[in-house]
Amino acid sequence: MTAIAIARRPDRPALVRAVCVREWREALANKLLVGMTLLPPFVILLAGITAVAAAAVNPPSERDVQALYAAAPAVQGLDPKEAVQGFIATYFLILFMLIPTVVPLTMAIYSVIGEKQMRTLEPLLAAPVGVGELLFAKSIASTVPSVIVTWTAYAIYLASVASLGSRAAVNAVTAPRWILAIVVMVPLLTLLSVNLGILISTRVNDVRVAQQIGGLVVVPVVGIGIAQVTGRVVINNEGFLQFSLFLIAADLVVFWLAKLAFQRENILVRWR
Amino acid sequence: MKTVLRTEKLTKRFGALTAVDGVDLEVREGEVFGYLGPNGAGKTTTLRLLCALIAPTSGGAEVAGFRLGREDAQIRAQVGILTEQPGLYERQSAWENLIFYATLYGLNGPTARAQSERFLRLMGLWERRFEAVATFSRGMKQKMAIARSALHEPRILFLDEPTTGLDPDAAKTVREFIVALRGEGRTVFLCTHNLDEADRLCDRIAFFRHKIIRIDTPDHLRAELYGRATEFRLMPSPRPEDLVRVKAVPGVHDARLENGSIIVEAPDPLRTNPLLIRTLIDGGAQIAFVTERKPHLEDVYLKIVEGHA
Repeated sequence: MTAIAIARRPDRPALVRAVCVREWREALANKLLVGMTLLPPFVILLAGITAVAAAAVNPPSERDVQALYAAAPAVQGLDPKEAVQGFIATYFLILFMLIPTVVPLTMAIYSVIGEKQMRTLEPLLAAPVGVGELLFAKSIASTVPSVIVTWTAYAIYLASVASLGSRAAVNAVTAPRWILAIVVMVPLLTLLSVNLGILISTRVNDVRVAQQIGGLVVVPVVGIGIAQVTGRVVINNEGFLQFSLFLIAADLVVFWLAKLAFQRENILVRWR
Repeated sequence: MKTVLRTEKLTKRFGALTAVDGVDLEVREGEVFGYLGPNGAGKTTTLRLLCALIAPTSGGAEVAGFRLGREDAQIRAQVGILTEQPGLYERQSAWENLIFYATLYGLNGPTARAQSERFLRLMGLWERRFEAVATFSRGMKQKMAIARSALHEPRILFLDEPTTGLDPDAAKTVREFIVALRGEGRTVFLCTHNLDEADRLCDRIAFFRHKIIRIDTPDHLRAELYGRATEFRLMPSPRPEDLVRVKAVPGVHDARLENGSIIVEAPDPLRTNPLLIRTLIDGGAQIAFVTERKPHLEDVYLKIVEGHA
């Protein structure tokens, strides 16, 4: 009697769905991970709303206005109160761009180091699935929640600014390049952070060490953001497009590097 | 029987260490093949090679009709592996674990659910299917891992120490499962330190220490190393003249007294034993029982593997 195996390579949507569902269940059951995922957007959101509300209630002093004009030439000429609110609203939007760099990093790191610690990688790799497909599914599993969290936080911030802030604050938050940044750059930054997290996780076994290394990804984002808000660098449409293309290229390169590191033999023989 | 697994000079080196050295193997369809060797002999590395998890340094293999290195995904679809560690997602339920793996093996929804139910029932875990695996005992986790490895009905199932650390009841369930797989025509490649288990389950055994030392059936290995011995228990105890008579019977190679019995070594016991019984009775001996004397596989293992070292 010849036995028959009923297995075959799973199709990609089914694989991605299965990996996502499994990882999300795992993440939701890990209170520390849930806390670390939700805390940064919550703090940024709370601080942003409070700052805009405070600026709406308390008119700025002459000294504050002069300091603001000096630091951010872009807002010169606006009504002082409007300028301060617009400045604050924009400043916190930059902090929103940190969410897709910080939040998915933790999840991506847990997604690989967690499997290492649970010793679940060998049976996983024994399945008829390509490592690239597996990595792609893991990337999506970490990217989607982070993008949803960032978009949700942005929507709450937008609604809060609209109800608490001035016209200038609303205009700042709904400026086309910021909407595009939220819609286009957030997923790209998230993917970059996720794949960087996976890449780092292939080399270290400690979640905290991986987070510290991965945390460096926020530095260029903060730098560009500060330069933009202070008017030192003005990201116009062309600059925005170039930065998006750079992010796409960086995403592809980091994914490729992660795929190189995430090979069956490396994982089973060299990872400890 | 058809050959389902064949290796040709399969070799795996890690730097200066040769873990698997020129292994030539042929495993037949529907047999339980024991792979026995000391710790660090390279058994797990062999399993990983044959499951297309790592690549050989040289040599090759054909597994379930697919070529290692060229058709690795097909090989992985045709084989199942029970790894040393159960490697289950502990925060998730037994059901969620199996459904996840069923999806990875390409089973569609209804098939995935049917197979998960079948194997959970087979392993006696159906009633606890919605409980987190973290709450399971070690034996239950091992049974879960076995269920996962067999979920997609692999043609060859590689089991690495399947009963280590299990209580007798759980170990029995696993052994019965292996026998059932053989009954379905599936091949089981069993790595074990449990020589009694190998003796009971395996059709053939390979003794391995980086390279294959010997391959044969357990009975042939015993017969070759220790001859075929029969124990004659006499009441109240054998007399010296009984031993002299026994030694004189044609076909007897050797006979000795041991704990109130005469142990007779003869290459053809089917022919010699009736003569021996008649001789002893004619000589006035009272025979309590006659039984075939099997040396433990452990003795065979130690003689071959330790002797080889």
